[in-house]
Amino acid sequence: MTARMAPATDARTAPNGSGTVFDIGYQKYTGVREGRGRARRAVFKDGVRGALGLGRGPRNMVLPWFFIGFMSAIAILMALITGAAKRMASPAEVAQMNLPTHSDFYGFASIILFMFAALVAPELLCRDRREGVISLYFVRPLTALDYVASRWLAFLVVTLATAWLPQIILLLGLSMGDPAPVAYLQKHWLDIPRFLAAGLAMAAYITTIAMLTASFTTRRAYASVFLVGLFAITTPFTAGLAQEIKGPAGQWISMFSLTNIPVHVNDIIFNDVSEITEDAPARKLPKVVLVAWYFAWTVIPGAALWWRYRRLTP
Amino acid sequence: MPTAGEALLAARHLTKHYGNVVALNDVSFNISDGVTGLLGENGAGKSTAIKIFLGLLRPTSGAATVLGEDASRSFSARSRLGYMPEHDCLPSHVSAAEFLTHMAEVSGLPPSAARTRAADTLRHTGLFEERYRSIGGYSTGMKQRVKLSQALVHDPVFVFLDEPTAGLDPLGREEMLALIRKTHREFGISVVLSSHLMADVERTCDRIIVMQGGRVVHSGEVGHFTKETATVFIEVDANRDELVAALQRRGVMVTPDGSGLTIEGPDESVYDHVRDALVDAQSPLRRMAPRRRALTELFERGAV
Repeated sequence: MTARMAPATDARTAPNGSGTVFDIGYQKYTGVREGRGRARRAVFKDGVRGALGLGRGPRNMVLPWFFIGFMSAIAILMALITGAAKRMASPAEVAQMNLPTHSDFYGFASIILFMFAALVAPELLCRDRREGVISLYFVRPLTALDYVASRWLAFLVVTLATAWLPQIILLLGLSMGDPAPVAYLQKHWLDIPRFLAAGLAMAAYITTIAMLTASFTTRRAYASVFLVGLFAITTPFTAGLAQEIKGPAGQWISMFSLTNIPVHVNDIIFNDVSEITEDAPARKLPKVVLVAWYFAWTVIPGAALWWRYRRLTP
Repeated sequence: MPTAGEALLAARHLTKHYGNVVALNDVSFNISDGVTGLLGENGAGKSTAIKIFLGLLRPTSGAATVLGEDASRSFSARSRLGYMPEHDCLPSHVSAAEFLTHMAEVSGLPPSAARTRAADTLRHTGLFEERYRSIGGYSTGMKQRVKLSQALVHDPVFVFLDEPTAGLDPLGREEMLALIRKTHREFGISVVLSSHLMADVERTCDRIIVMQGGRVVHSGEVGHFTKETATVFIEVDANRDELVAALQRRGVMVTPDGSGLTIEGPDESVYDHVRDALVDAQSPLRRMAPRRRALTELFERGAV
């Protein structure tokens, strides 16, 4: 091998002698190389930044931050309503009211989270394939599975943050709005692990479905339109059909309402019924069936996503 | 890492089939330090060979080693390789500085080192002033420089350049070839240049490997293929036909060659005949020199 070049030195002195610029030439990199672990973290970090539009210009930030803001606004509104009711009405009247709680939040917010995933998730996979950047990843210390797992995890983290942040706001709002905040927290502390678990279940499901859809096209718009259609059409269609057919068949048809699948899990975690699933015939199926159905709709699309990318590197 | 004098890349009986199509057929060669040209027509097997070395394809049989390690399994070797593809591979919505920093991190560099390397590399490739502009607004020449920069940003031992002058105007092509020469001479990075443009390879490379139909048909130093031949090339400003007639009257066999004439294997007496024929034909002599072979002849004649 040729000996590595000694740096060429070129000094340019300013006319008044006030400063000197040295061109020290090309410098070899002699620092640490962190290999595959660093590569995975870099793809993950880029995925988070891409999903939130960070470093991409103002236009790319509009969509994700609109959804995050909208979800937070719902939580603030729920907290304000509950707080006002508790301060203005007697405890007996409050007990009669159907005030919003943590268990209701994902029922209200699930459709917004689905829209968020439909519009933002494809950005993480489609653009790399359309612009050919993906070929630069796989010649580096990174496999296709590392790449897709890092992207999946990046969007999961963003979706989790989008799901958890309003719940945290709601928790703070509900406890501050209560006449006895400490007593409220002591009574409702179990809501914290519940909304964390329910948020995780919802984020994992939404992320996997959205990423799998994005893996089939290089056009972000196609993936978004398909996902919006999928979520928007299956819910009323299956609800209407289930009402018509009734019985066990109706219950199973109701199971195909894609927006309801993680909300059933939310209901099981909170041991409560959300507004969105209250009339769904599938609610009456055994809990184990609802949980297994949720895992089927999360694990199988995850495996399909893995299979889609597996063939890209040997 | 191989020691001094060892091959950086080695192909041993490399064969690759795509169904019934044989892309590489029992190919063996070594590539060591320097600038090596991989020449061949479309479908010759150049890209398949590069993809195997980059770990993107597994060979059907045979072995490819990169920096002493199995090309399809080694992550450490991949972190010391660079690749500039022929096709578009740049994101349009980020700046060159951000893109290069990201690519350096994906190659394994820590974030602070990646930022420094990105700025340094863009300075060396002439994009320092434009580094914060979105790549989507760059010209074709600037995009080619970004493609080269991302291949160099992690300071690889070896870089593969696939048709690096594709789509460039003459000035851009000159600048790119100068950058490629600089990559080896100043940066100390060895280069494999895959191209079907023989002029690019002739002017840039130390060695060439010529592929045809999935096989290596020639390999060696570029100087060996372009050395002087026993043919004399004569170029005159006027009266070329009269000169041909005057030479033929003296028993010298000449062959028209473009704007000039060639005389195969002349002995010493021929030069006297040429002098006399030039006087007879009143042809002003522009050039008379031993002819050098061009790489194009490898394909035209199939002989070296």
